[in-house]
Amino acid sequence: MEVTVTGINALAFPHIHVWDWRVALYLFLGGLSAGLAVMAAVLHLYRNGDLTYKEGSSWIAPLLVPVVLGIGMLFIFLDLENKLNVFRFYMTVQILSPMSWGSWGLLAFFPLSALFALGALPERHYGWLKLTFLKTLARNMNRQLQCLAILNLLMGVFIGIYTGVLLSSFVARPLWNSSILPILFLLSALSAGAALMIIVARSLQAKLFFTKLDVILIAAEMTVLPLFFYGQYTSSAAHRMSILPFFTFTHEYLWYGAAIILIGVVFPFALVLKMIELRPGHVSEITRGVIFRMHLSATLVLIGSAVVRFAFVYAGQLSSFS
Amino acid sequence: MPRYAMVIDERRCIGCMACIAACKAENEVPPGSFRTRVRETVEGKFPYLRMEIRSELCNHCDNPPCVYNCPTQASYKDEETGMVLLAKEKCVGCKACVAACPYDARYVNHEKGVVDKCTFCSHRVAKGETTACVTTCVGGSRVFGDLDDPKSLVSQLLALHPAETLLASAGTEPRVFYIRRSGKPK
Repeated sequence: MEVTVTGINALAFPHIHVWDWRVALYLFLGGLSAGLAVMAAVLHLYRNGDLTYKEGSSWIAPLLVPVVLGIGMLFIFLDLENKLNVFRFYMTVQILSPMSWGSWGLLAFFPLSALFALGALPERHYGWLKLTFLKTLARNMNRQLQCLAILNLLMGVFIGIYTGVLLSSFVARPLWNSSILPILFLLSALSAGAALMIIVARSLQAKLFFTKLDVILIAAEMTVLPLFFYGQYTSSAAHRMSILPFFTFTHEYLWYGAAIILIGVVFPFALVLKMIELRPGHVSEITRGVIFRMHLSATLVLIGSAVVRFAFVYAGQLSSFS
Repeated sequence: MPRYAMVIDERRCIGCMACIAACKAENEVPPGSFRTRVRETVEGKFPYLRMEIRSELCNHCDNPPCVYNCPTQASYKDEETGMVLLAKEKCVGCKACVAACPYDARYVNHEKGVVDKCTFCSHRVAKGETTACVTTCVGGSRVFGDLDDPKSLVSQLLALHPAETLLASAGTEPRVFYIRRSGKPK
Protein backbone atom coordinates (compact mmCIF):
# COMPACT_ATOMS: atom_id res chain seq x y z
CA MET A 1 0.00 0.00 0.00
CA GLU A 2 1.25 3.45 -0.91
CA VAL A 3 0.06 6.46 1.04
CA THR A 4 0.56 10.10 0.10
CA VAL A 5 -0.77 12.78 2.36
CA THR A 6 -1.06 16.42 1.35
CA GLY A 7 -1.56 18.92 4.12
CA ILE A 8 0.00 17.16 7.07
CA ASN A 9 1.04 19.05 10.16
CA ALA A 10 4.67 18.69 11.13
CA LEU A 11 3.46 18.07 14.68
CA ALA A 12 1.63 14.92 13.62
CA PHE A 13 3.87 13.44 10.96
CA PRO A 14 5.00 10.71 10.76
CA HIS A 15 3.65 10.47 14.30
CA ILE A 16 2.73 13.06 16.89
CA HIS A 17 5.56 14.65 18.86
CA VAL A 18 3.87 17.08 21.16
CA TRP A 19 5.75 16.34 24.34
CA ASP A 20 9.53 16.20 24.58
CA TRP A 21 12.18 15.75 27.26
CA ARG A 22 10.72 18.57 29.35
CA VAL A 23 7.52 16.62 29.94
CA ALA A 24 9.41 13.35 30.48
CA LEU A 25 11.68 15.08 33.00
CA TYR A 26 8.69 16.62 34.73
CA LEU A 27 7.03 13.22 35.01
CA PHE A 28 10.23 11.76 36.45
CA LEU A 29 10.88 14.59 38.91
CA GLY A 30 7.19 14.83 39.82
CA GLY A 31 7.15 11.09 40.48
CA LEU A 32 10.44 11.25 42.38
CA SER A 33 9.20 14.06 44.64
CA ALA A 34 5.95 12.17 45.20
CA GLY A 35 7.83 8.98 46.09
CA LEU A 36 10.23 10.89 48.32
CA ALA A 37 7.32 12.57 50.12
CA VAL A 38 5.78 9.15 50.78
CA MET A 39 9.08 7.72 52.04
CA ALA A 40 9.83 10.77 54.22
CA ALA A 41 6.33 10.46 55.66
CA VAL A 42 6.86 6.73 56.29
CA LEU A 43 10.12 7.55 58.13
CA HIS A 44 8.23 9.91 60.43
CA LEU A 45 5.23 7.66 60.93
CA TYR A 46 6.97 4.25 61.28
CA ARG A 47 6.95 3.27 64.95
CA ASN A 48 6.12 6.85 65.91
CA GLY A 49 9.27 8.15 64.27
CA ASP A 50 11.78 5.80 65.94
CA LEU A 51 13.98 5.87 62.84
CA THR A 52 14.17 9.68 62.77
CA TYR A 53 16.37 9.77 65.90
CA LYS A 54 19.69 11.39 64.89
CA GLU A 55 18.76 10.68 61.29
CA GLY A 56 19.61 13.46 58.83
CA SER A 57 17.20 12.22 56.20
CA SER A 58 14.30 12.99 58.54
CA TRP A 59 14.66 16.65 57.56
CA ILE A 60 16.79 16.50 54.38
CA ALA A 61 14.24 14.32 52.54
CA PRO A 62 11.23 16.57 53.33
CA LEU A 63 13.39 19.53 52.28
CA LEU A 64 14.25 17.87 48.96
CA VAL A 65 10.59 17.21 48.10
CA PRO A 66 9.55 20.82 47.26
CA VAL A 67 12.95 21.44 45.61
CA VAL A 68 12.65 18.43 43.26
CA LEU A 69 8.96 19.15 42.67
CA GLY A 70 9.72 22.81 41.94
CA ILE A 71 12.33 21.88 39.33
CA GLY A 72 9.87 19.44 37.75
CA MET A 73 7.12 22.07 37.68
CA LEU A 74 9.52 24.51 36.05
CA PHE A 75 10.05 22.08 33.16
CA ILE A 76 6.32 21.48 32.62
CA PHE A 77 5.84 25.25 32.69
CA LEU A 78 8.54 25.63 30.04
CA ASP A 79 6.63 23.19 27.83
CA LEU A 80 3.49 25.36 27.76
CA GLU A 81 2.97 27.24 24.51
CA ASN A 82 1.18 30.12 26.19
CA LYS A 83 2.94 30.57 29.51
CA LEU A 84 1.10 33.77 30.46
CA ASN A 85 -2.14 31.79 30.50
CA VAL A 86 -0.93 29.37 33.17
CA PHE A 87 -3.43 30.86 35.65
CA ARG A 88 -6.20 29.38 33.47
CA PHE A 89 -5.48 25.98 35.05
CA TYR A 90 -6.88 27.42 38.27
CA MET A 91 -9.99 29.08 36.86
CA THR A 92 -11.85 25.79 36.49
CA VAL A 93 -11.97 22.18 37.67
CA GLN A 94 -12.36 19.69 34.86
CA ILE A 95 -13.31 16.35 36.37
CA LEU A 96 -12.52 14.36 33.22
CA SER A 97 -9.15 16.00 32.60
CA PRO A 98 -6.28 14.42 34.55
CA MET A 99 -4.18 17.48 33.73
CA SER A 100 -6.77 19.59 35.56
CA TRP A 101 -6.70 17.45 38.71
CA GLY A 102 -2.91 17.27 38.44
CA SER A 103 -2.54 21.04 38.34
CA TRP A 104 -4.84 21.40 41.35
CA GLY A 105 -3.02 18.54 43.07
CA LEU A 106 0.33 20.24 42.54
CA LEU A 107 -1.10 23.45 43.94
CA ALA A 108 -1.97 21.56 47.15
CA PHE A 109 1.11 19.32 47.21
CA PHE A 110 3.74 22.04 46.86
CA PRO A 111 2.76 24.10 49.95
CA LEU A 112 2.05 20.93 51.94
CA SER A 113 5.53 19.59 51.17
CA ALA A 114 7.05 22.98 52.02
CA LEU A 115 5.22 23.00 55.38
CA PHE A 116 6.41 19.43 56.02
CA ALA A 117 9.97 20.53 55.24
CA LEU A 118 9.63 23.48 57.62
CA GLY A 119 8.16 21.33 60.37
CA ALA A 120 10.86 18.66 60.01
CA LEU A 121 13.71 21.18 60.11
CA PRO A 122 15.69 20.72 63.35
CA GLU A 123 15.84 23.73 65.67
CA ARG A 124 19.59 23.95 65.25
CA HIS A 125 19.03 24.96 61.62
CA TYR A 126 16.45 27.67 62.34
CA GLY A 127 19.25 30.16 61.66
CA TRP A 128 18.74 29.41 57.95
CA LEU A 129 15.26 30.93 58.19
CA LYS A 130 15.91 34.64 57.80
CA LEU A 131 12.31 35.73 58.34
CA THR A 132 10.93 35.59 61.89
CA PHE A 133 7.51 34.38 60.82
CA LEU A 134 9.13 31.38 59.16
CA LYS A 135 10.72 30.39 62.48
CA THR A 136 7.33 30.68 64.20
CA LEU A 137 5.72 28.72 61.37
CA ALA A 138 8.44 26.04 61.62
CA ARG A 139 7.80 25.67 65.36
CA ASN A 140 4.06 25.42 64.82
CA MET A 141 4.45 22.93 61.99
CA ASN A 142 6.82 20.84 64.11
CA ARG A 143 3.92 20.26 66.51
CA GLN A 144 1.80 19.03 63.58
CA LEU A 145 4.53 16.89 62.04
CA GLN A 146 2.64 13.58 62.21
CA CYS A 147 -0.42 15.15 60.63
CA LEU A 148 1.73 16.76 57.90
CA ALA A 149 3.41 13.40 57.30
CA ILE A 150 0.03 11.74 56.73
CA LEU A 151 -1.09 14.51 54.35
CA ASN A 152 2.21 14.30 52.43
CA LEU A 153 1.88 10.54 52.19
CA LEU A 154 -1.61 10.86 50.73
CA MET A 155 -0.63 13.64 48.33
CA GLY A 156 2.51 11.72 47.33
CA VAL A 157 0.42 8.70 46.35
CA PHE A 158 -2.00 10.97 44.47
CA ILE A 159 0.74 12.72 42.49
CA GLY A 160 2.53 9.41 41.85
CA ILE A 161 -0.64 7.93 40.35
CA TYR A 162 -1.64 11.12 38.52
CA THR A 163 1.51 11.18 36.38
CA GLY A 164 0.45 7.81 34.98
CA VAL A 165 -3.25 8.67 34.68
CA LEU A 166 -2.27 11.77 32.69
CA LEU A 167 -0.93 9.53 29.94
CA SER A 168 -3.35 6.63 30.29
CA SER A 169 -6.41 8.81 29.62
CA PHE A 170 -5.59 9.22 25.93
CA VAL A 171 -7.64 6.77 23.90
CA ALA A 172 -5.75 8.00 20.83
CA ARG A 173 -2.37 6.65 22.08
CA PRO A 174 -2.62 2.89 22.51
CA LEU A 175 0.68 2.56 24.40
CA TRP A 176 -0.49 4.95 27.09
CA ASN A 177 -4.11 3.90 27.12
CA SER A 178 -3.73 1.21 29.76
CA SER A 179 -4.98 1.19 33.33
CA ILE A 180 -1.75 -0.55 34.37
CA LEU A 181 0.32 2.52 33.49
CA PRO A 182 -0.70 4.58 36.56
CA ILE A 183 0.19 1.62 38.80
CA LEU A 184 3.53 1.21 37.02
CA PHE A 185 4.28 4.92 37.39
CA LEU A 186 3.27 4.88 41.06
CA LEU A 187 5.55 1.92 41.79
CA SER A 188 8.33 3.58 39.81
CA ALA A 189 7.83 6.82 41.78
CA LEU A 190 7.83 5.02 45.13
CA SER A 191 10.90 2.91 44.32
CA ALA A 192 12.74 6.06 43.12
CA GLY A 193 11.71 7.81 46.34
CA ALA A 194 12.99 4.90 48.43
CA ALA A 195 16.23 4.89 46.42
CA LEU A 196 16.80 8.57 47.10
CA MET A 197 16.08 7.96 50.79
CA ILE A 198 18.79 5.28 50.83
CA ILE A 199 21.26 7.82 49.44
CA VAL A 200 20.18 10.57 51.82
CA ALA A 201 19.88 8.45 54.99
CA ARG A 202 22.85 8.43 57.35
CA SER A 203 22.16 5.56 59.75
CA LEU A 204 22.56 1.92 58.80
CA GLN A 205 19.15 1.19 60.30
CA ALA A 206 17.37 3.71 58.05
CA LYS A 207 19.35 2.65 54.96
CA LEU A 208 18.45 -1.00 55.54
CA PHE A 209 14.81 -0.12 56.23
CA PHE A 210 14.46 1.66 52.88
CA THR A 211 16.47 -1.05 51.14
CA LYS A 212 13.87 -3.57 52.31
CA LEU A 213 11.07 -1.31 51.10
CA ASP A 214 12.81 -0.78 47.76
CA VAL A 215 13.22 -4.54 47.24
CA ILE A 216 9.45 -4.99 47.55
CA LEU A 217 8.75 -2.02 45.27
CA ILE A 218 11.24 -3.08 42.59
CA ALA A 219 9.90 -6.63 42.66
CA ALA A 220 6.39 -5.25 42.21
CA GLU A 221 7.56 -2.99 39.36
CA MET A 222 9.30 -5.91 37.67
CA THR A 223 6.06 -7.87 37.89
CA VAL A 224 3.85 -5.07 36.59
CA LEU A 225 6.11 -4.12 33.66
CA PRO A 226 5.94 -7.51 31.84
CA LEU A 227 2.20 -7.64 32.62
CA PHE A 228 1.82 -4.26 30.94
CA PHE A 229 3.57 -5.50 27.80
CA TYR A 230 1.58 -8.75 27.90
CA GLY A 231 -1.67 -6.80 28.18
CA GLN A 232 -0.72 -4.65 25.20
CA TYR A 233 0.36 -7.66 23.14
CA THR A 234 -2.89 -9.52 23.70
CA SER A 235 -5.05 -6.46 23.06
CA SER A 236 -6.04 -4.83 19.73
CA ALA A 237 -3.68 -4.61 16.75
CA ALA A 238 -2.96 -0.96 17.56
CA HIS A 239 -2.03 -1.87 21.14
CA ARG A 240 0.19 -4.70 19.91
CA MET A 241 1.88 -2.39 17.42
CA SER A 242 2.42 0.20 20.14
CA ILE A 243 4.95 -1.96 22.00
CA LEU A 244 6.90 -2.89 18.87
CA PRO A 245 9.46 -0.07 19.25
CA PHE A 246 10.67 -1.77 22.43
CA PHE A 247 11.18 -5.17 20.85
CA THR A 248 12.17 -4.71 17.20
CA PHE A 249 15.78 -3.70 17.88
CA THR A 250 16.14 -1.94 14.53
CA HIS A 251 18.11 1.26 14.03
CA GLU A 252 14.84 3.18 13.75
CA TYR A 253 13.88 2.25 17.29
CA LEU A 254 17.38 1.91 18.71
CA TRP A 255 16.70 3.99 21.83
CA TYR A 256 13.56 2.06 22.72
CA GLY A 257 15.34 -1.28 22.40
CA ALA A 258 18.21 0.13 24.46
CA ALA A 259 15.72 1.37 27.06
CA ILE A 260 14.07 -2.03 27.47
CA ILE A 261 17.48 -3.72 27.75
CA LEU A 262 18.59 -1.11 30.27
CA ILE A 263 15.42 -1.56 32.32
CA GLY A 264 15.83 -5.33 32.08
CA VAL A 265 19.37 -5.08 33.42
CA VAL A 266 19.21 -2.15 35.83
CA PHE A 267 16.31 -3.28 38.01
CA PRO A 268 17.37 -6.92 38.47
CA PHE A 269 20.98 -5.82 39.13
CA ALA A 270 19.82 -3.27 41.69
CA LEU A 271 17.61 -5.92 43.25
CA VAL A 272 20.48 -8.41 43.54
CA LEU A 273 22.71 -5.77 45.14
CA LYS A 274 19.98 -4.96 47.64
CA MET A 275 19.35 -8.62 48.43
CA ILE A 276 23.07 -9.04 49.21
CA GLU A 277 22.88 -6.18 51.71
CA LEU A 278 19.79 -7.67 53.31
CA ARG A 279 21.33 -11.13 53.99
CA PRO A 280 21.17 -11.74 57.75
CA GLY A 281 24.40 -10.59 59.38
CA HIS A 282 25.89 -9.36 56.11
CA VAL A 283 25.94 -5.73 57.15
CA SER A 284 26.75 -4.94 60.75
CA GLU A 285 28.44 -1.60 60.26
CA ILE A 286 28.61 0.99 57.53
CA THR A 287 31.87 0.58 55.64
CA ARG A 288 32.79 2.38 52.44
CA GLY A 289 32.07 -0.77 50.44
CA VAL A 290 28.60 -1.13 51.93
CA ILE A 291 27.79 2.52 51.25
CA PHE A 292 29.10 2.18 47.69
CA ARG A 293 26.94 -0.86 46.98
CA MET A 294 23.86 0.70 48.55
CA HIS A 295 24.30 3.96 46.68
CA LEU A 296 25.09 2.14 43.43
CA SER A 297 21.89 0.10 43.62
CA ALA A 298 19.90 3.23 44.56
CA THR A 299 21.40 5.16 41.63
CA LEU A 300 20.50 2.28 39.30
CA VAL A 301 16.91 2.44 40.49
CA LEU A 302 16.82 6.19 39.87
CA ILE A 303 18.24 5.70 36.37
CA GLY A 304 15.71 2.92 35.69
CA SER A 305 12.87 5.12 36.86
CA ALA A 306 13.98 7.99 34.60
CA VAL A 307 14.38 5.59 31.64
CA VAL A 308 10.82 4.27 32.18
CA ARG A 309 9.39 7.82 32.02
CA PHE A 310 11.42 8.93 29.02
CA ALA A 311 10.79 5.70 27.08
CA PHE A 312 7.05 5.77 27.71
CA VAL A 313 6.61 9.46 26.92
CA TYR A 314 8.41 9.13 23.58
CA ALA A 315 7.18 5.68 22.57
CA GLY A 316 3.57 6.59 23.36
CA GLN A 317 3.72 9.30 20.75
CA LEU A 318 4.73 6.77 18.10
CA SER A 319 1.52 4.85 18.67
CA SER A 320 -1.82 5.63 17.11
CA PHE A 321 -4.97 3.97 15.80
CA SER A 322 -4.70 5.19 12.23
CA MET B 1 -31.35 23.56 16.96
CA PRO B 2 -29.05 22.49 14.10
CA ARG B 3 -26.74 19.49 14.37
CA TYR B 4 -24.03 20.25 11.85
CA ALA B 5 -22.13 17.50 10.09
CA MET B 6 -20.12 16.92 6.95
CA VAL B 7 -20.45 14.16 4.40
CA ILE B 8 -17.46 13.44 2.20
CA ASP B 9 -18.36 11.55 -0.94
CA GLU B 10 -15.05 9.94 -1.90
CA ARG B 11 -16.44 8.95 -5.29
CA ARG B 12 -16.60 12.60 -6.29
CA CYS B 13 -13.19 13.69 -4.98
CA ILE B 14 -10.61 14.38 -7.69
CA GLY B 15 -7.77 15.16 -5.31
CA CYS B 16 -7.35 18.78 -6.48
CA MET B 17 -6.44 19.93 -2.95
CA ALA B 18 -8.49 23.10 -3.42
CA CYS B 19 -10.14 22.43 -0.04
CA ILE B 20 -6.74 22.69 1.64
CA ALA B 21 -5.95 25.99 -0.09
CA ALA B 22 -9.40 27.45 0.60
CA CYS B 23 -9.22 26.47 4.27
CA LYS B 24 -5.78 28.01 4.70
CA ALA B 25 -6.84 31.25 3.03
CA GLU B 26 -10.16 31.54 4.86
CA ASN B 27 -8.79 30.78 8.32
CA GLU B 28 -5.33 32.33 7.98
CA VAL B 29 -3.70 29.04 8.84
CA PRO B 30 0.05 29.65 9.29
CA PRO B 31 2.60 28.18 6.86
CA GLY B 32 3.36 24.53 7.59
CA SER B 33 0.06 23.98 9.38
CA PHE B 34 -3.20 22.61 8.02
CA ARG B 35 -6.76 22.17 9.26
CA THR B 36 -7.61 19.69 6.57
CA ARG B 37 -5.56 17.20 4.59
CA VAL B 38 -6.02 14.81 1.68
CA ARG B 39 -4.81 11.24 1.96
CA GLU B 40 -4.26 9.24 -1.22
CA THR B 41 -3.96 5.50 -0.71
CA VAL B 42 -3.05 3.10 -3.52
CA GLU B 43 -3.86 -0.55 -2.86
CA GLY B 44 -3.40 -3.77 -4.77
CA LYS B 45 -0.85 -5.06 -7.31
CA PHE B 46 -0.29 -3.64 -10.76
CA PRO B 47 -2.34 -3.65 -12.96
CA TYR B 48 -5.12 -4.28 -10.45
CA LEU B 49 -4.87 -1.10 -8.43
CA ARG B 50 -7.37 0.91 -6.47
CA MET B 51 -6.90 4.43 -5.28
CA GLU B 52 -8.77 6.02 -2.42
CA ILE B 53 -8.67 9.78 -2.02
CA ARG B 54 -9.88 10.81 1.39
CA SER B 55 -10.22 14.28 2.84
CA GLU B 56 -9.64 14.41 6.56
CA LEU B 57 -10.37 17.10 9.09
CA CYS B 58 -11.58 17.51 12.66
CA ASN B 59 -14.48 15.11 13.11
CA HIS B 60 -16.36 17.36 15.56
CA CYS B 61 -17.03 14.26 17.62
CA ASP B 62 -20.07 13.91 19.83
CA ASN B 63 -17.82 12.20 22.36
CA PRO B 64 -14.70 14.37 21.95
CA PRO B 65 -11.57 13.22 23.83
CA CYS B 66 -9.92 16.59 23.15
CA VAL B 67 -12.66 18.37 25.10
CA TYR B 68 -12.55 15.91 27.99
CA ASN B 69 -8.78 16.22 28.29
CA CYS B 70 -8.66 20.01 28.13
CA PRO B 71 -7.77 21.28 31.62
CA THR B 72 -8.95 24.85 31.05
CA GLN B 73 -12.21 24.43 29.10
CA ALA B 74 -10.54 26.07 26.10
CA SER B 75 -11.78 23.17 23.95
CA TYR B 76 -15.52 22.87 24.15
CA LYS B 77 -18.48 21.36 22.41
CA ASP B 78 -20.78 24.14 21.28
CA GLU B 79 -24.20 23.31 22.66
CA GLU B 80 -26.09 25.09 19.88
CA THR B 81 -24.31 23.68 16.86
CA GLY B 82 -22.52 20.61 18.17
CA MET B 83 -19.24 21.89 16.73
CA VAL B 84 -16.04 21.28 18.68
CA LEU B 85 -14.56 24.76 19.06
CA LEU B 86 -11.76 26.56 20.86
CA ALA B 87 -11.87 29.51 23.21
CA LYS B 88 -8.35 30.57 22.33
CA GLU B 89 -8.07 33.07 25.15
CA LYS B 90 -8.31 30.15 27.60
CA CYS B 91 -5.72 27.93 25.89
CA VAL B 92 -2.44 27.43 27.77
CA GLY B 93 -0.89 25.35 25.00
CA CYS B 94 -0.44 22.23 27.12
CA LYS B 95 -1.10 20.12 24.00
CA ALA B 96 -3.18 17.53 25.87
CA CYS B 97 -5.86 17.90 23.19
CA VAL B 98 -3.32 17.22 20.43
CA ALA B 99 -2.29 13.99 22.14
CA ALA B 100 -5.92 13.09 22.84
CA CYS B 101 -7.20 13.42 19.26
CA PRO B 102 -7.22 10.02 17.49
CA TYR B 103 -7.47 11.82 14.14
CA ASP B 104 -4.38 14.02 14.64
CA ALA B 105 -6.56 16.92 13.57
CA ARG B 106 -4.95 19.60 15.73
CA TYR B 107 -1.85 21.68 15.36
CA VAL B 108 -0.01 24.29 17.40
CA ASN B 109 -0.16 27.86 16.17
CA HIS B 110 3.25 28.95 17.43
CA GLU B 111 2.63 32.58 16.46
CA LYS B 112 -0.35 32.82 18.80
CA GLY B 113 0.83 30.24 21.32
CA VAL B 114 -2.39 28.26 21.07
CA VAL B 115 -3.59 24.98 19.67
CA ASP B 116 -5.86 25.31 16.65
CA LYS B 117 -8.12 23.17 14.49
CA CYS B 118 -10.98 23.10 12.00
CA THR B 119 -14.02 24.99 13.26
CA PHE B 120 -16.39 23.94 10.45
CA CYS B 121 -15.95 27.62 9.51
CA SER B 122 -18.28 28.55 12.37
CA HIS B 123 -17.85 32.25 11.55
CA ARG B 124 -19.26 31.63 8.06
CA VAL B 125 -21.96 29.25 9.27
CA ALA B 126 -23.14 31.90 11.75
CA LYS B 127 -23.77 34.18 8.75
CA GLY B 128 -25.76 31.49 6.98
CA GLU B 129 -22.94 30.49 4.65
CA THR B 130 -21.32 27.11 4.25
CA THR B 131 -17.70 26.17 4.98
CA ALA B 132 -14.85 27.42 2.76
CA CYS B 133 -13.80 23.90 1.76
CA VAL B 134 -17.35 22.99 0.70
CA THR B 135 -17.71 26.23 -1.27
CA THR B 136 -14.55 25.52 -3.24
CA CYS B 137 -14.99 21.76 -3.75
CA VAL B 138 -15.24 21.43 -7.55
CA GLY B 139 -16.41 17.82 -7.55
CA GLY B 140 -19.08 18.39 -4.91
CA SER B 141 -17.37 15.79 -2.76
CA ARG B 142 -17.70 17.76 0.45
CA VAL B 143 -21.20 18.47 1.70
CA PHE B 144 -22.05 20.38 4.88
CA GLY B 145 -25.39 20.66 6.56
CA ASP B 146 -27.77 19.98 9.40
CA LEU B 147 -28.34 16.34 10.35
CA ASP B 148 -31.66 17.24 11.98
CA ASP B 149 -33.02 18.74 8.79
CA PRO B 150 -34.31 15.86 6.62
CA LYS B 151 -34.21 18.14 3.56
CA SER B 152 -30.54 18.98 3.95
CA LEU B 153 -28.16 17.40 1.49
CA VAL B 154 -26.19 15.66 4.27
CA SER B 155 -29.36 13.96 5.54
CA GLN B 156 -30.37 12.95 2.05
CA LEU B 157 -26.94 11.55 1.21
CA LEU B 158 -26.79 9.60 4.47
CA ALA B 159 -30.29 8.23 3.81
CA LEU B 160 -29.31 7.10 0.32
CA HIS B 161 -25.81 5.72 0.85
CA PRO B 162 -24.07 3.57 3.42
CA ALA B 163 -21.60 5.85 5.13
CA GLU B 164 -18.73 5.22 7.49
CA THR B 165 -16.93 7.24 10.12
CA LEU B 166 -13.20 7.08 10.81
CA LEU B 167 -11.96 4.97 13.74
CA ALA B 168 -15.49 4.19 14.87
CA SER B 169 -14.08 1.75 17.41
CA ALA B 170 -12.47 4.66 19.29
CA GLY B 171 -15.99 5.56 20.42
CA THR B 172 -15.69 9.23 19.54
CA GLU B 173 -18.92 9.35 17.49
CA PRO B 174 -17.62 11.54 14.68
CA ARG B 175 -19.78 13.95 12.71
CA VAL B 176 -17.83 13.58 9.49
CA PHE B 177 -19.21 10.76 7.37
CA TYR B 178 -17.55 9.09 4.41
CA ILE B 179 -19.26 7.57 1.39
CA ARG B 180 -16.65 5.21 -0.04
CA ARG B 181 -16.04 3.77 -3.45
CA SER B 182 -17.32 0.24 -3.60
CA GLY B 183 -15.29 -2.67 -4.85
CA LYS B 184 -11.80 -3.89 -4.17
CA PRO B 185 -8.84 -4.54 -6.46
CA LYS B 186 -8.88 -8.04 -7.95
